[in-house]
Amino acid sequence: MTSALILIVDDNATNLKLARVVLAGAGFEVRTANDAEEALHVLEVCRPRVVLTDIQLPGIDGLEFTRRLKGDPARSGLVVIALTAYAMVGDEERARAAGCDAYLTKPIDPDGLVRTVESFTSSPAPLKR
Amino acid sequence: MGRRRRAGTSASDKLRRFFASAPNPEDRFRALVESAPDAMVVLDPDGLVLVVNAQAEKLFGFARAELIGQAVEILVPERFRARHSGHRGHYFGDPRARPMGAGLELFARKRDGTEFAAEISLSPIATPAGTLVTAAIRDVSERKRNLDEQNRRMQEANRLKSEFLANMSHELRTPLNAVIGFAKLLYAGKAGPLTETQTEYLGDILNSSQHLLELINDILDLAKVESGRHELHVEEVAPTRIATEIKDILRGLAADKQLELRVEVSPDLATVRVDQKMLKQILYNYLSNAIKFTEEGGRVAMRIVPEGDQHFRIDVEDTGIGIRAVDIERLFVEFQQLDSSAAKRYPGTGLGLALTKRVVEAQGGSVSVRSTIGLGSTFSAILPRVVRTGEEGDASDVHGSGGTR
Repeated sequence: MTSALILIVDDNATNLKLARVVLAGAGFEVRTANDAEEALHVLEVCRPRVVLTDIQLPGIDGLEFTRRLKGDPARSGLVVIALTAYAMVGDEERARAAGCDAYLTKPIDPDGLVRTVESFTSSPAPLKR
Repeated sequence: MGRRRRAGTSASDKLRRFFASAPNPEDRFRALVESAPDAMVVLDPDGLVLVVNAQAEKLFGFARAELIGQAVEILVPERFRARHSGHRGHYFGDPRARPMGAGLELFARKRDGTEFAAEISLSPIATPAGTLVTAAIRDVSERKRNLDEQNRRMQEANRLKSEFLANMSHELRTPLNAVIGFAKLLYAGKAGPLTETQTEYLGDILNSSQHLLELINDILDLAKVESGRHELHVEEVAPTRIATEIKDILRGLAADKQLELRVEVSPDLATVRVDQKMLKQILYNYLSNAIKFTEEGGRVAMRIVPEGDQHFRIDVEDTGIGIRAVDIERLFVEFQQLDSSAAKRYPGTGLGLALTKRVVEAQGGSVSVRSTIGLGSTFSAILPRVVRTGEEGDASDVHGSGGTR
């Protein structure tokens, strides 16, 4: 089985590195971007199974970024996992409403992150409609 | 004694000399009312105006002649008039000097129909022909405006503080993510094998960061409750289920200290309507606190029972170190662990009880504690069986609505 490709978007370099190390360590192939704009460029050239995005991003924030990905019919089947240090009431609801498939809060638990990503990648990719 | 008597007599003589020129008692009375610093209105038992002073003319904009002989309700905003005459009758039934409408916001009406916030003192004057009442009226609208403004500013400052705390917590969690995450990776051997000492030190880093994270989470929770952003999610909840859940979470902690942990829920409390998350937080905070401050081999018991028809009560009793009476009022204040030696032995954020109090009060309840040094403490919370959310609340302050609050 070829390893699934994961795109991680976070403006904090150290946290980006942590998620990369954790997921690469679990056998995933990983791409990274520092903000949503850069992520959109990455998405022009590769097709990840999962996008793991911070919500608080400079410029286009994680929620808007998610809405764009989920609103694009060419990307149906793409999984978006929100990752945020902002755990206020209603944040998860807002993330879900924007189209996020899962919501994780920082600080991340490495094993928990791997399990969540695996839950979306262990089954075959849905067929494009 | 004798000297004072002489002085009294001479004062009385003087007073007689001063008023000897006044032709009759009525004029003397008028002069007295006229000299009062506040607007004064004197009424007979039927509520008719007998005397007003110049200050009253100025305050209400009526000429004296327009007021004399009129029912005093001419000075009361229309919407309060009917009730006012009722209260007036009540006052004459038990006349004594007192402020009018204690605890209520009072409004008076000027000749041009404008209203102002007023402070009114009533006092009876016994006369041979019956009781009259004098009312001293003061315009407090400016004072009230200042107070309202001050209040508004304080609320705003408090909101900003809470918002700052919430944002701060977010900023603090961001770097902590990397600290905890990488430490966990190392600890799990994901970066290669570790010596025993390295494992031990990494364990120390993880414990400390975990404590730091709890602190940040508590601050965030406190800020949420304070800023009112913690909306109440009231739903039907079975206290037995929640109590069992919390007991299960804390069973290990109690077992570590060989504590006997008992939880009883009255069968009369099948369900209540509260915020489930908040109820869990209350039970968890009280119970974990009791476990923390009880020495090995002690007992901790939680009871949830009805309190009257409308409320229920949570008691968490321990056989712990107890709290001195003087310290009890500091208990529910943020960042106050009672003494630093205890703080060292019982690590914690010092926010748990403050948070519990906020969470209980946010649902319309109250907290209390009883304690005996060396014997133990009982922490209690009383909550409504049906918690009302903000929109259902009702707070109207009106002139003459009757009751004293």
